Amino acid sequence: MVKPKHILLVVILGLSAWALWPSAEERAGGGRLGDRPKASEADKARRPYHLRVAPALYLPGTMPNNVGKPLEGLTHVAEKFEALFPDTYVEFVGVPAVREWLVTQLAAGQAPDIINVNVEDVWQDVQKGWYVPLDPYLNRPLPFVKPAAPGSRQWWDVFKYQAITRGKAAPDGLSYCISFDMVETGIFYNKDIFERLGLGEPKDWPEFLALQKRLKEAGYIPLLVPLGSIADWGVDLVFDQLYKSLRPGIDLRTDPQRAAYLEGYLDWDEICLLHQKGFFTRRDPRWVDLWRILKEWRQYWNKDLSSADPMRLFVTQKGAMFWTASWSVNQLARDPDIAFKWGVFYPPPIPASFNPYGDGHTMCVIGGSCTQLTVTNTAFSDTGRPETSQRLKRVIAFLQFLTLPENAEPVINEVKAFLPNIVGVEPHKELLVFDEILRRPYTTTKWSYTFDLRFNEIFQRMFDLYLNGGIGEEEYLEWTEKNLDAAARAILVRKKLDLAPLERRWEELAPARREMKGLPDAR
Amino acid sequence: MRDKLQAIVRNLGLYAILSPTFLLLAVFCFVPFVWAFTTSLYDYEIGGDRVFVGLANYGEYLGDPTFWSSFRNLFLLTLVSVATGVVFPLGIAKLIFSLSSEHARYLYRVVFLVPIVVPGVATLMIWGGMVYGDNGLVNELLRLVGLGDWARGWLAGPDTALWAVAMIGFPFASGINILIFYAGLAGIPESVHEAAWLDGASGVGKFFLIDLPLVLSQIKLLVILTIIGVVQGFQGMFILTRGGPGFRTMVPGLWMYFNAFSFQRMGYACAIGVVLFLLILVLTVLNLKYFKSSEDLQAAL
Repeated sequence: MVKPKHILLVVILGLSAWALWPSAEERAGGGRLGDRPKASEADKARRPYHLRVAPALYLPGTMPNNVGKPLEGLTHVAEKFEALFPDTYVEFVGVPAVREWLVTQLAAGQAPDIINVNVEDVWQDVQKGWYVPLDPYLNRPLPFVKPAAPGSRQWWDVFKYQAITRGKAAPDGLSYCISFDMVETGIFYNKDIFERLGLGEPKDWPEFLALQKRLKEAGYIPLLVPLGSIADWGVDLVFDQLYKSLRPGIDLRTDPQRAAYLEGYLDWDEICLLHQKGFFTRRDPRWVDLWRILKEWRQYWNKDLSSADPMRLFVTQKGAMFWTASWSVNQLARDPDIAFKWGVFYPPPIPASFNPYGDGHTMCVIGGSCTQLTVTNTAFSDTGRPETSQRLKRVIAFLQFLTLPENAEPVINEVKAFLPNIVGVEPHKELLVFDEILRRPYTTTKWSYTFDLRFNEIFQRMFDLYLNGGIGEEEYLEWTEKNLDAAARAILVRKKLDLAPLERRWEELAPARREMKGLPDAR
Repeated sequence: MRDKLQAIVRNLGLYAILSPTFLLLAVFCFVPFVWAFTTSLYDYEIGGDRVFVGLANYGEYLGDPTFWSSFRNLFLLTLVSVATGVVFPLGIAKLIFSLSSEHARYLYRVVFLVPIVVPGVATLMIWGGMVYGDNGLVNELLRLVGLGDWARGWLAGPDTALWAVAMIGFPFASGINILIFYAGLAGIPESVHEAAWLDGASGVGKFFLIDLPLVLSQIKLLVILTIIGVVQGFQGMFILTRGGPGFRTMVPGLWMYFNAFSFQRMGYACAIGVVLFLLILVLTVLNLKYFKSSEDLQAAL
């Protein structure tokens, strides 16, 4: 016997099914506007080269920061490429930005052919054959350009920020990515608040701190910043300020290929040896001061570093400054809720008057390559060997095609978040402020990307605890020392590093160090 | 021996019917355990070489920076979970069971059971954002009563994070636990209630002297399940705090996950997994051996 409640149940089920039924476009595979329809089985048979590309923020059909229209720049590039190579289908995929996912995909040989990965993460695994070195292709002419055009001699020449791009070579000397665009950080500030309080852009660190003190007294959160940014950018900038003057005495290895951009950069093997010599320990006064400076600065940041929403606090004018990067420009420029003028400045230098190890040199670059396109082992899955793979050639061809100015420009400037790294493509005018910063020298080292992920995990956790009063300075320094000891031991084994040449260089540089002050006391 | 063989042959059909279940159990439970134990004896990185290291991974884990703090956190979370997973559901089950109307009892059972359809991850996100968030319920309530200075990132504070995680799920009215206790209470014979009434037992006294001893089997089951769940589970910490700040909310399961999939130290992660397996085994055996059920009590009488 059918009762009314049975009919009601059927109606509810029917309506639910109707509401959840995918649209015709979604059934065709394109779930988002601007996205490409997926290849049918017949289409796949007709086009044997099915390339999968994970372009991060440039994924067609998405709207970064929910601003503007759905992206379609890459869709047009793919269509042009497929017209040139009718046997190829290019699919763009969104992937989780987590290393756990990537590692499992690479281990199984199922990662996208081209993927955006921070190349420092790539360096961790290059010995496993998961990534394709691009040097053989970068050193040869770009096939799609006319004679005498950039790239006609070698692919390398199409990249605008040469030093940064070449500086992304791994410690083994090979380049595993191309830098498609650049990102840089900056302190975004509320000009209206600054004007009201009679404040200007600070010239040096003491001025910077005084400015923040004034903002705090006026009831604002002086600086909005997430923990990750401080642990990455903040640590490296202050570290560079305190250690740069030591470079002539402690830079133990020079790599001609990377020297143009990374001159004086301390790689993990150098840090291992320096650590053995007492650097980056409690006996190193610069090391101790580094953390003290950051701890003193902490009083001016948002109370909750982990889960506060800095963008919301900046837009609602609860915070006066926001340390973010060029990726925030588009959102801030077009947010209808922003009822104030804003500007951007860069952290100012630390002079000797503030700290004996600061020499007042300009704060270094902390950003650099943003979308770092890497070719994975999936690309040569047809033969299992890069040398013989036809599929790999097609993947590289797409990557090369993408770096042509006429293809890169609509893709990069559509997002208005990053600066194009392609000769002949100008950055969006709202991003020009970052161009000057990108031309500065690079940092002395990047602690977040040195050693392995375990090191970084422990470092960030204990740094968080230290900044928030969970542990004191002595305990924190003990943690960092132990963490560095363990990481150095692990990397020496894992990468089979030989420190003997560095030891010899250390001896050679002894005269240079004799004049230096504040070196770790020898025991 | 011959009889046994004949019995096997005679029941071959039944064994054939049962075999898929055992096969699946073997493939998905026993083989992974053996594989994990074997791997724990190797230094093995995903995509890299396997190097036999014997028990070195276990030795290293004893000296791991997270070892003591993560087990201390686990101990506290287990205590809280066991207490809240038993006390609150039992109290609610008793209240529902005491209702005179069968219709009302049914309605309340449904009401308390419905929330279990909400996925666990969604619940955690709600707690993380809407309850503990910067503008969440707790902070807004504090601001409302003029205690705005006490507002903080509850999950980010070194002194508050672990308790904030432990309090997730308040008031701990877990639907399944309530049903299990309700079934236990319903299983107490009416004659027992009548005898208790004749002896003058009622109210709270009757609950502690009659009801509680007779649902000990359910308590025993839930204690075991809760311990296993807490020792194995790390999703709450993973989603809300990633074990931080520092290692203040780290638990061994989460550190195992980080080692396996972030640091790619599969051998080391397997060693942590084996340690957790042994811990669960020991706690379960102790529970079964020393925790009296209602049947044990009745047998003793």
